Amino acid sequence: MKAKLWGTRGSVPSPGPETIRYGGNTSCVGVTLSDGSLLALDAGTGIRNLGLALPDEPTRLHILLTHLHLDHIQGLVFFAPCFRPQTEIVIWGPASPGASLRDRISRYISAPLSPIEVRELPCDVSFRHTPQSEWEIGPARIRAASVSHRGPTLGYRIDDGEDSLAYIPDHEPALGADLDTLGEEWISGFGLAEGASLLIHDGQYSDAEYPEHLGWGHSSLSHALSFARRTGVDRTVLFHHDPMHTDERLDELGAEARERWAAVGGDPSAVELAVEGAELDLRAPAPSPVVAG
Amino acid sequence: MPVTESQDTKSATLTQKPLELILARNLMSALSTPAFLVDEGGLLVFYNEAAGMLLGKPWEELGTVGAEEWGRLFGPFDDGGEPIPYDELPLVKAVRDDRPAHAELAIRSTDGHPHRVEVSAFPIQTAHGSRGAIAIVWPTAGGGSFDGASA
Repeated sequence: MKAKLWGTRGSVPSPGPETIRYGGNTSCVGVTLSDGSLLALDAGTGIRNLGLALPDEPTRLHILLTHLHLDHIQGLVFFAPCFRPQTEIVIWGPASPGASLRDRISRYISAPLSPIEVRELPCDVSFRHTPQSEWEIGPARIRAASVSHRGPTLGYRIDDGEDSLAYIPDHEPALGADLDTLGEEWISGFGLAEGASLLIHDGQYSDAEYPEHLGWGHSSLSHALSFARRTGVDRTVLFHHDPMHTDERLDELGAEARERWAAVGGDPSAVELAVEGAELDLRAPAPSPVVAG
Repeated sequence: MPVTESQDTKSATLTQKPLELILARNLMSALSTPAFLVDEGGLLVFYNEAAGMLLGKPWEELGTVGAEEWGRLFGPFDDGGEPIPYDELPLVKAVRDDRPAHAELAIRSTDGHPHRVEVSAFPIQTAHGSRGAIAIVWPTAGGGSFDGASA
């Protein structure tokens, strides 16, 4: 299994010379399964470039949405395969007591926010609420679970052979909780991330910024690292960068993350900040994880 | 890519409490009002620090106990001093019936002291059904003790 980061930014697209290295597109990860098929995790503005990279040929695509905040769906109407009649697209997302997934997404893909309606998309698109039990897409086993964020929000785990990817881009597991002492069954997202080869996780705020954003649904650097340590993942990619963080600021946060990881006995190369365009091979030798304690 | 749904949920999900219980516990941990949390099976899975002070034993020391042991330790008791069956407790009724429940009763702390309280319990309903229930406990208006509870 391989993953490519097409959009790493949180909240709002942040293009510009000061964000050119880590990227300004919002959340989207392309996952290539062992049989060569492709999944898209979230449909932020990064999915536009993913769509442009796909060949124009009949295919079936699955898009797994964590939630419906705009930075995770904004790219849908700019995803080229949506405009190809020979393409079948299955969009998975969280259930809500108020309206179906299709109806909720249609609030965005409709006037006055969009020039087209869902029913006008040339592709064959369908919408499915994620099941409570594990399901399979091609060679992969997929699991979704609700996680601590604002509104109905999922994290995903994808297991394909020996590889496992946990994707929890918007997550505040430390809200009202002490991640260092809490029993693991009481940690939001624990079951998704436990022992994963690769964890892509919210790391939006520095520790100094977090108190001003308590309850906004995102993690500080310390919380993200604590979550990674408790879940015993092999490798962690900090994701969903704050739009105010320049490349230089992210360089500083990345260095701080590696230092802290090393300070608790981890391999500093096992923690990195997400870079738009980066390709992550889950088959690569994994650094030694920190022993959870 | 074929899509199939499997009932073979892996062990990792089985160790994870539902998010609604996690958030409820986090909220209860920040309250100064005694509060209790049960899962969808009616098993007590947490009570907060204030509840621990009321009972005389913090959650960290007690942990999950069965209905019989709970009754032996804390009651509760009705106005006549008789133990209230576990199935009649507001928390258990809230889970079982998916309805809010309220009762006045007496509990006994570990030092043998009885406390008259009012208990309001409500189920935790989600898009996927019931996840459990929360009970909030208040001292009965006017206070006072219940002699029968210490018997």
